[in-house]
Amino acid sequence: MRILIVEDDPHTAAFIAKGLTEDGHTVDQAANGRDGLFLATTETYDAVVLDRMLPGVDGLTVLRTLRGSGNATPVLLLTALGDVDHRVEGLRAGADDYLVKPFAYAELSARIDSLLRRRQTPGTETTELRVGDLELNLLTREAKRAGRSIELQPREFRLLEYLMRQAERVVTRTMLLEAVWDYHFDPQTNVIDVHISRLRQKIDRHHPKPLLHTVRGAGYRLGVRE
Amino acid sequence: MCVNRVVGLLSARSTSTRLALAVGGLFLLSYLLLGAGLYYAVSRIFMQDLHEVIRLDSQDLVDLYRESGHAGLMTEISERTTSPDDDNAVYELIAPDGRLLAGQFSNLPDSVRISNGWVKFDEHNDDGVVRVIAKVQPLHDGSRLLTGRRSRNQARFEALVQRNLLYALLAAAGLGGLIGWITARWVARRLESTYDIANRVGAGELALRMPEDDSDDAFDRLAKRINAMLDRIQELLDGVRHATDHIAHDLRTPLTRLRNRLEDMRVEHAAPEQFAVELDAATAETDQLLATFSALLRLTRIEAQTAGANDTEFAMQPLVLDAVELYAPIASERGIVLDAQTVPCTQRGDADQLFQLVANLLDNALKYAARGTRVALHLYDDGDAVFLLVGDHGAGIPAADRERVFDRFVRLEEHRGSAGSGLGLSLVRAIAHRHGGTVTLEDNSPGLRVRVRLPHAVLR
Repeated sequence: MRILIVEDDPHTAAFIAKGLTEDGHTVDQAANGRDGLFLATTETYDAVVLDRMLPGVDGLTVLRTLRGSGNATPVLLLTALGDVDHRVEGLRAGADDYLVKPFAYAELSARIDSLLRRRQTPGTETTELRVGDLELNLLTREAKRAGRSIELQPREFRLLEYLMRQAERVVTRTMLLEAVWDYHFDPQTNVIDVHISRLRQKIDRHHPKPLLHTVRGAGYRLGVRE
Repeated sequence: MCVNRVVGLLSARSTSTRLALAVGGLFLLSYLLLGAGLYYAVSRIFMQDLHEVIRLDSQDLVDLYRESGHAGLMTEISERTTSPDDDNAVYELIAPDGRLLAGQFSNLPDSVRISNGWVKFDEHNDDGVVRVIAKVQPLHDGSRLLTGRRSRNQARFEALVQRNLLYALLAAAGLGGLIGWITARWVARRLESTYDIANRVGAGELALRMPEDDSDDAFDRLAKRINAMLDRIQELLDGVRHATDHIAHDLRTPLTRLRNRLEDMRVEHAAPEQFAVELDAATAETDQLLATFSALLRLTRIEAQTAGANDTEFAMQPLVLDAVELYAPIASERGIVLDAQTVPCTQRGDADQLFQLVANLLDNALKYAARGTRVALHLYDDGDAVFLLVGDHGAGIPAADRERVFDRFVRLEEHRGSAGSGLGLSLVRAIAHRHGGTVTLEDNSPGLRVRVRLPHAVLR
């Protein structure tokens, strides 16, 4: 995938570029808003990582101009401003996701993957999700592993649904909190871990091949890959 | 310098100068209106009297004509003309062909010779020009009788009024200007100290305050408002300084640890497995530092916030129950019963922040509660405010430490070793304050009970 990084801090830019290249993406870089806007409008990218505070033309202006010209490339906005109103402002300007600095690379990587995936499967409303021998019926709200029914609490169902929609991708704890609990907050302890381990008990127990994996230093991944 | 400033306040564009001009102008305008009204009313009465005198005089002569005929009238007129009772009375008998038969006039304007009814004309004589108001009455034989008065008195009156009005006008202009100037001076003097202190505060003397005289007038209220604002600024600055001190102090320890670990890795040529373990530990340490930093940034931002435009009205019960549900697995894992009693109630504010508040309280309670005990959460509404109580049966906090634990990075000695940034309760209090609420710590005998009060109407 081809990704554009618009970031004025050379260290952060190099750090993101190195990570994304190692993940197998092709990366272009711009150090200010003007160059970023030029590249984003003249070249074709699969995703843009855009810093909010840039010299010259700032990130939000770049984003608005881009969206105003009908460009729908997924944009991940990076920012040091993490308030709800800043986030709302960013999303309103057309950002697809929002990441507050400082962040771990794993968080950025997981979010980019999620954006790219969203782009690949536009608007296909499925009623059934399947990962390996795990099935989730969104209409009857039934979960089955190897044909055997699994009892799930409503929240566990949402958790599993999100993990299955992001199958084979790393999702971070923050992503889970935002998507499944719908609150933007910093948990002091890893409350999510306990929920995951309960879910793991339900779907992986008695099965030789576990589906729900812990990715150290990043988060979780649901998938058949070991 | 001080004089310059006052002059500055009085310059053409300053409020006080505009005020002075407006007061003076209004003063003048009302004087002009009063004078004009008075002049008009008095002239009217004067004219009415004059007309009445002329009408009666004319009627007398017509009656005489009816009794004594043309000759009698001629005699009467010449008598009145030669020895007049009233210097201003004028008479003339005009023949049908326009000739002047008897009276003062040697000449009359043609229009007057052939007119009937009320006329006005100028008489030219030795004294100059005199205005004459007269009534022309036709008689049976075709001649006309003119009876009138020279309006010398009225002219004199008008001149008098005009002169006096001019004097009054000059006096009013002077007085208006004076009143305006005094007002402007007063305003300028009241504003001068405000101006002076604002300048000095701007230059860095942050402890200065506006003088308050408790008169509760507009200036006093302004001074009080500005002082309240300065207090708030001072509070925020103190908070920032406090935070900076703590950051320097509390973040240095983990950073030093991290640095030592990295140095060790460079020196000891450890086995690859050992290397990986060390790296993981360093990463975990960094993550903890980053988490502390974001909590700190968040705390500072929330403290600087006011109840803002992004606030919404939302149901508090589902939010609290979501938090309880989020923490329930941890509670059961630690053998603690998490018991929530809630009622439906609404609150205005930032839902994410209030979720953080509830989460921090539950996190703390579950962290310090003893295994096998109960953590109780109550949510209720007394009409004025929403109350949230979270009580545990842990070690509790000694009364002496209850205020201190709200400060950034303060962790009681016995908990130093456990996980956490020491920002949890600071954040709880900052969020409650930003919603106009309060947080109090109470004895749950044994244990700690945190009471959060969030008023429905935020007082500004």
